[in-house]
Amino acid sequence: MRLLRPMLLIACVLAAWELAARSGLWNPLLFPSLVKIAYELGLFLIQPARLMEAWVSLYRALGGFALAALAGVLLGMLMGRSARVAELLDPLFSGTYAVPKLALFPIFIFVFGIGSLSKVALIFLECLYPIVIVTYHGARDVNRVFLWSAQNMGASRAQILRRVVLPATVPFIFAGYRVALPVAMIVVVITEMISSADGLGYLVIYSLSSLKTDRMLAVVIVISLLGLALDRALVFLRNRLVYWDRLDTYYV
Amino acid sequence: MKRSACLLLACISIALQISAHAAEPPLIRLGRGFAAEEQVWLMSARPDLTPNQGKRYQLKQILFQANPQRFQAYLAGEIDAGTAPGLSVIFASEQGLDIKVVASVCMEAAGKEWFSTTYMTKDDGPIRSVRDLKGGTVGVVGIKTATDLWARAGLLNAGLQPDKDTKVVPLGFPAMGDAVRTGKVSAGTFVEPFYSAEAAKGGLRKLFTAVEAVGYDHELLDLWFGQKFLKANPEAVRAFLADYVAVTKYYLANTAQAKRDLHKAGFVRTPLEIYLKNADWKRDPNARVNVDSLKKLSTFMREKLQWLEKPVNVDALVDQSYLPR
Repeated sequence: MRLLRPMLLIACVLAAWELAARSGLWNPLLFPSLVKIAYELGLFLIQPARLMEAWVSLYRALGGFALAALAGVLLGMLMGRSARVAELLDPLFSGTYAVPKLALFPIFIFVFGIGSLSKVALIFLECLYPIVIVTYHGARDVNRVFLWSAQNMGASRAQILRRVVLPATVPFIFAGYRVALPVAMIVVVITEMISSADGLGYLVIYSLSSLKTDRMLAVVIVISLLGLALDRALVFLRNRLVYWDRLDTYYV
Repeated sequence: MKRSACLLLACISIALQISAHAAEPPLIRLGRGFAAEEQVWLMSARPDLTPNQGKRYQLKQILFQANPQRFQAYLAGEIDAGTAPGLSVIFASEQGLDIKVVASVCMEAAGKEWFSTTYMTKDDGPIRSVRDLKGGTVGVVGIKTATDLWARAGLLNAGLQPDKDTKVVPLGFPAMGDAVRTGKVSAGTFVEPFYSAEAAKGGLRKLFTAVEAVGYDHELLDLWFGQKFLKANPEAVRAFLADYVAVTKYYLANTAQAKRDLHKAGFVRTPLEIYLKNADWKRDPNARVNVDSLKKLSTFMREKLQWLEKPVNVDALVDQSYLPR
């Protein structure tokens, strides 16, 4: 029943869509029925060339995200545990967080070229911010009682970092990852829509250019399914690693 | 008695409003683009050139950045007509859109007096002919746009397979010059005013033009109307097209002045001195559509590019009966 409840909501949304599509109020070219979208989705899933486009987007998104995951945790931990580093970097991150990095994409194209590198670089930059900021706050706000206790027991700085700070920060790190991962998917699709000869974003534009809304929506569904799968994988990993603070124990 | 008088006055007022509204000529909501549509824009910039406007029809022009959005707006009932490249209209027709091409706006045509979209490469680079683009990248302004079609046609002519031998990537017109010069793309697409500006900077060399790529003069932009609007308001469309043809003739005879007027009205943001010098696309003074060229484009899109899943009946798509005789 617990698993069925969210499905019920999705089923209601799909039923509302189908009713609207069949109502005749909107042109089917603009508002295609679920049957047509499902047909295009089926075609997508059996065509190796289309699946390859999904793979291209996925490796770009995961490439940029992985780089940001490493660099972001490193920077966030340094900022959280060193006042000097925080003084140096906090204004930079806080001051430029709101900048739409996508506006920098033309510059990235000129620096890194039109291929994957410019897209991976932009994904890295977009993902870096949430990971750094959330990790920074997690590392900074470690319970002092834990730190004092470790110090009283004679733990070295390295031991405190490894045995106290890092475990206390890991839930924050994963929170940052969960914010950054969908950002990676969004940015990869947008950059491919702007300038690419492959990937899911390219397929969106390709379908839209010939007014194939049903095909475009099928690609959108693939993007959302990929995003969902990545998030579930991340939650699974988190629950395995952070076993003392599982996400499914929040609601008691 | 007082209440009856008030009721009578209200009825008279409503009746007057309805009759005033009924007397208003039909409003044409026209989706326009941002390049090569000078005579269309001039109808709004210089309404004094359009004697029927305001009397037999009203005109409201709405700017769109891309072609698919224009057709989506039409499907949503937000516009009645629009401008669009020939190939976009063919795409729309394939998808079953109930529209008709009623007039030509401009053409890609051979001849020194006309501009044709040009593909250029680095002057001192290794690419001496289109065949040398093997393993390289061509910048076009958008996927499945006319610039994409010409690039692919040029590559096919040279025996190259687009996407396999040479990548075709979208890139904005303003970035094209630097992208070619810095080697980010092997060749790029240049239209006015970027063509003149980049040619003046030097360092670029022509590879081929749109006309050379497909091998014949062809429709670049056309005017289309929704069929429902055509059936409901044939006289308004005839009056609109009579004005449109008159404005086209005025534009061709007084190009410099027309360009000044368009610049002043804010339709063009290019510096005036550059805009005045730009070469222009060919425009038929009578706005007649080159139907054969649309047929050839449609066949090329279906047979060579596999862009169309089913054939398009171009004869049924074009209806020039609304143009002045």
